[in-house]
Amino acid sequence: MKTSHRYVVVALLGLGFYANVASADENLFGYIKGVEVMPKGTYELDEQITYRGDKGVGTYHAWDNKTELEYGVTDKFEAAVYVKAQAINTKNIVVDAYIPGNETYGPKLSGVGAEFKYMFLSPAKDDFGLAGYLDLGYSWLDPHSGLDKDIYSVEAKLLAQKYFMEGQLVWAGNLGIESTYARRAPLSADRQASLPVDYDWPNHNEMEVELSAGTGLSYRFAPNWSIGGEALYEAEYETVVGQERWSVFAGPNIHYGGEKFWVTLTAFHQLKGYGHPGSAQLDDSLQLIERTKDEVRLKVGFDF
Amino acid sequence: MKNIHSLWLLPVAAIVSPVYAADYLTVEQAQKAIFADAQSFEARPAKLTSDQQDKIKSLSGLRQRWDTQQIWRAVKNGKTLGWFVVDEVIGKHEFITYAVGLSPDGHVLGVEIMTYRETYGGGVRNAIWRQHLVGKTLADPFKLDEDVPNISGGTLSSRNVMDGVKRVLAIQKVLNLVE
Repeated sequence: MKTSHRYVVVALLGLGFYANVASADENLFGYIKGVEVMPKGTYELDEQITYRGDKGVGTYHAWDNKTELEYGVTDKFEAAVYVKAQAINTKNIVVDAYIPGNETYGPKLSGVGAEFKYMFLSPAKDDFGLAGYLDLGYSWLDPHSGLDKDIYSVEAKLLAQKYFMEGQLVWAGNLGIESTYARRAPLSADRQASLPVDYDWPNHNEMEVELSAGTGLSYRFAPNWSIGGEALYEAEYETVVGQERWSVFAGPNIHYGGEKFWVTLTAFHQLKGYGHPGSAQLDDSLQLIERTKDEVRLKVGFDF
Repeated sequence: MKNIHSLWLLPVAAIVSPVYAADYLTVEQAQKAIFADAQSFEARPAKLTSDQQDKIKSLSGLRQRWDTQQIWRAVKNGKTLGWFVVDEVIGKHEFITYAVGLSPDGHVLGVEIMTYRETYGGGVRNAIWRQHLVGKTLADPFKLDEDVPNISGGTLSSRNVMDGVKRVLAIQKVLNLVE
């Protein structure tokens, strides 16, 4: 935990540093994306910290950081680049082919990527908002085991948003598909020796497809402040077993939107799920192989 | 404005005070800006019945959020120059307070932004943008990017101010302030 705490302090100090920088693509939700884009010629710096914890057994704490710079190319098209980092602390969990024992480290750079969003319809102007979203990513660390893994991903989403009560109540919905090509690095001889003889650690090329559907509602209950809830269904598919894993997360969020910055905090809890192959250690009624029971996400955006 | 603000639920008022606010015009300044020739302004606050609120919605397509509307009669030499109405609409983060001047025959004479607190969309304060609302009547379309330009990054604010002006015109008609 020490390294994780240090990581949070560093990240929060980083946020403080940027606090003087001067919101359009304001995130009302932690996991669900809105339709609106940055106005032409404007920038936004987003800092996102996600805590993932509790696999029901052993110790599992993971921290993901994403620092993103968004730019309004036109009044309908937004482009962004991002850098990811992660920290992990896992002990006494061994899942065949997924988590080969203990791993602990502080924040390490873990990936880079680019995002693009095109707003077809504006929720404020056209009554119903619609946008297309594309994320191209490359990571070199596995977010689950914490070990080396090259991951190339392409994610496309259809984003919808609707204002009610002149904008006091906001609904958003997302549908997405992500294609991933990945390859793990071999385990070290020492780590291999510490594992059961039949422990399997495939390091061939993997292809996966993930489908997702999410929805959220946000209500502005006081000037600048909104509360809401969001839910996300994710399902992973691969060639041998078909649907490999699925999960449903849901939870509350709170949002502050100001002149210089906005902040959103979401607590996400896994309600139901399944992970294949099963594990003697993990609860089969949840997707705990590549997910945890709980997540907390903090997002802050600075516009300038 | 008391009953306007009471629309908000304020369970955590102590911690949610806005950290920024920009008050550009007082009521008196806004009155002078729109009715420069007026000699006096008679306060004529209107208490709207639920039936009147329904009619306002029917005429404008927009919900009347409160039952008291701040209205003044602009007077010169005993004659009505027009009607001055203070209203509020939802902005991106907070309410936008603005004033509308109406001619006795139901035209918009001017719009002044009194309080505004947004990052982008400050364009609703822009005189050129507000000029697009001058001369409008209830018969006009009131559509962004058709008869009123959209403000990039402030679409919700410009939409709500534009819709608000239409609602104020509907209030004038429902209260029989049209000659």
